[in-house]
Amino acid sequence: MLKKGLFKKPNNRLEGAEANKTPKVPVQMMLHCPSCKTMLLEVDLDENCFVCKNCGHHLKIGARKRITLLTDTDSFSELFADLSSVNILDFPEYDKKLEKARTESGETEGVLCGTAAIGGMDCAIFAMEPSFMMGSMGTVVGEKITSLFEFATANALPVIGFTVSGGARMQEGILSLMQMAKVSGAVKLHSDAGYLYITVLTDPTTGGVTASFAMEGDILLAEPHALIGFAGPRVIEQTIRQKLPAGFQRSEFLLEKGFVDAIVPRTQQQAYLAQLLRMHRKEHAL
Amino acid sequence: MFSKILIANRGEIAVRIIRACKEMGISTVAVFSEADRTALHVSLADESFCIGPAPAKDSYLNITAILSAAVASGAQAIHPGYGLLSENARFAGLCAQCNIAFIGPSAEIISKMGDKDEARKTMIAAGVPVIPGCDMVKDVAHAKEEAARIGYPLLIKARAGGGGRGIRLVKAADELENAYHAASAEAQNAFGDSGMYLEKFLSPVKHIETQLLGDFQGNLVCLGERDCSLQRKNQKLLEESPSPAVTPSLRKSMMDAALKAAKAVGYYGAGTIEFLLDNNGHFYFMEMNTRLQVEHPVTEMVTGIDLVKWQIRIAAGQPLGFSQKDIQLNGHAIECRINAENPREDFRPSCGKIQLLHIPGGPWVRFDTAIYQDYFVPPFYDSMIGKLIVHAKTREEAIRKMQASLCELVIEGIDHNAELQMELLAEDEVVDGTYHTNYMVQRRK
Repeated sequence: MLKKGLFKKPNNRLEGAEANKTPKVPVQMMLHCPSCKTMLLEVDLDENCFVCKNCGHHLKIGARKRITLLTDTDSFSELFADLSSVNILDFPEYDKKLEKARTESGETEGVLCGTAAIGGMDCAIFAMEPSFMMGSMGTVVGEKITSLFEFATANALPVIGFTVSGGARMQEGILSLMQMAKVSGAVKLHSDAGYLYITVLTDPTTGGVTASFAMEGDILLAEPHALIGFAGPRVIEQTIRQKLPAGFQRSEFLLEKGFVDAIVPRTQQQAYLAQLLRMHRKEHAL
Repeated sequence: MFSKILIANRGEIAVRIIRACKEMGISTVAVFSEADRTALHVSLADESFCIGPAPAKDSYLNITAILSAAVASGAQAIHPGYGLLSENARFAGLCAQCNIAFIGPSAEIISKMGDKDEARKTMIAAGVPVIPGCDMVKDVAHAKEEAARIGYPLLIKARAGGGGRGIRLVKAADELENAYHAASAEAQNAFGDSGMYLEKFLSPVKHIETQLLGDFQGNLVCLGERDCSLQRKNQKLLEESPSPAVTPSLRKSMMDAALKAAKAVGYYGAGTIEFLLDNNGHFYFMEMNTRLQVEHPVTEMVTGIDLVKWQIRIAAGQPLGFSQKDIQLNGHAIECRINAENPREDFRPSCGKIQLLHIPGGPWVRFDTAIYQDYFVPPFYDSMIGKLIVHAKTREEAIRKMQASLCELVIEGIDHNAELQMELLAEDEVVDGTYHTNYMVQRRK
């Protein structure tokens, strides 16, 4: 081992004038994996559907990004983009919250709806937006999803839904709770017409969304290690005064208990969904 | 000029770059893996950062860690050396985004030349002779069709290939299908790209490469050629400049072709154009390396131009201080790669502690290395532990000097190939300079 300071520094002056250059990492270029803390490059993440290459953690992504990653190039066409929430109950600070959510997410509401193709198969699609008040379900979210199901029924399309939500939007009180029943009604009509509904539960899917359309899919898929439940684990522990089992409310736990059909990593979702859509083509029905 | 440079490499090349920086008054930042804590480049640099565990993919290829070290230390430029990230277009692009000068060409040029198919097309367009072959093939059937046109023997090559991977020699038509699948699967695994093309297999040939240096102002010079035909499994063993097979008129045409090729892509920085040269004096473009080469010292010895210092000056925006007419090739230089491997046991790699080290000296003898007495050669990286370079007035004198220097090189504690190099330098074809790229295979027979 060479001892420290073994080599001296030469007395050479810098050749030429010093360059005026300060290195700086631009925001957005790198980020830490929240799970394993590895530094990741945004470009690498983009290629890997925002899944950490080191530990497989699925990073949170916005609705528009998710739809771009999982559907065929340029196939997405947005529907009901003109609907946006207002403060119907005059709930304190709600207007400000909405404004902040719009700025942060770049979206007008907590869900993005439209039509797209996956592996060449047409479908109606919705994806909830985690950075819009944690994908909470208010009247507009309910209305957009209901309208999407009605559109899908009228146009004979399967529906694929990506859920991420903290539950009903408390600022809209009972009106947001009522969306559970309203969307469920539209799901039922779509189902009665014989069309397929697939949900992909992502981290976290909780509250009223879990208690309604998130769990109403014909096929329930989940992303690895996603938190899926009604009340949060802390609330349950404090209520029943018992320690919950390890992995409680995680997708692997739900798969074991039969609440979801399969866990599909995001990198495989496009191929998986395309295959499911192909297998459930109406013209192939017996 | 940059006040501080980070060296994103290890071993002898990191030491070589640090030495150039010290001459130029530039502060240096070394990066190292957990296995390289005691490495010479770490001690020589002014600052050092550990960038990850021993495997290169977690440390020397860890882009985020290297860029973070550069930003934390305030390094204005990164020298990637050779191998590792030196031809990684993404890395070069990210450096630019971080306002760090990448000492090498732009990301666009790297990716253009890294795609072998695209490089080939560029050369054809520039009027540089290329090996007879075809563009990308769609499938086996298409490959068979093209193969019939080109004729056997031929090579199936991966578009993204390098380091001898994704290449198969096909001697006859019945071998094509298997070779196609094997090569494309290998390329898919190694480079994530299974695109293949075909090329006529030329044999026997010499591997001759030309050294280029270009600046941002559009000045471009060619610093003669190197003969790198003495190879084992696509790894060069011994290099020399000038090549004993290249006549002055052939040299002129090769240098003109190289300059034409570099101009076609608007090249700047140090780069190498590799050619295959057949026995009839015909040469064909093989590929362009957009970085410093391992064997760059032989060019430095015959031209008197410090390539690393010029790489840095060019990256800092300085124009070349000389033109083509100032370049003169003086005398003859030979480089022997010293690898930690045992030639008597099928070149088994060796690692361990250097028990005794004696480095040859005397006039015009240079040993580029990062090993020192009691250093532990780690098992994780390339087996090359040093390069012995000599310079003399004539080729004959250079061979004599190399023989004498190899005798003086003592590395105890690990196996190495210095004795093999001495044997090679006493063999007829090496002494008379007629050896081809298949020499090591023929010799074994």
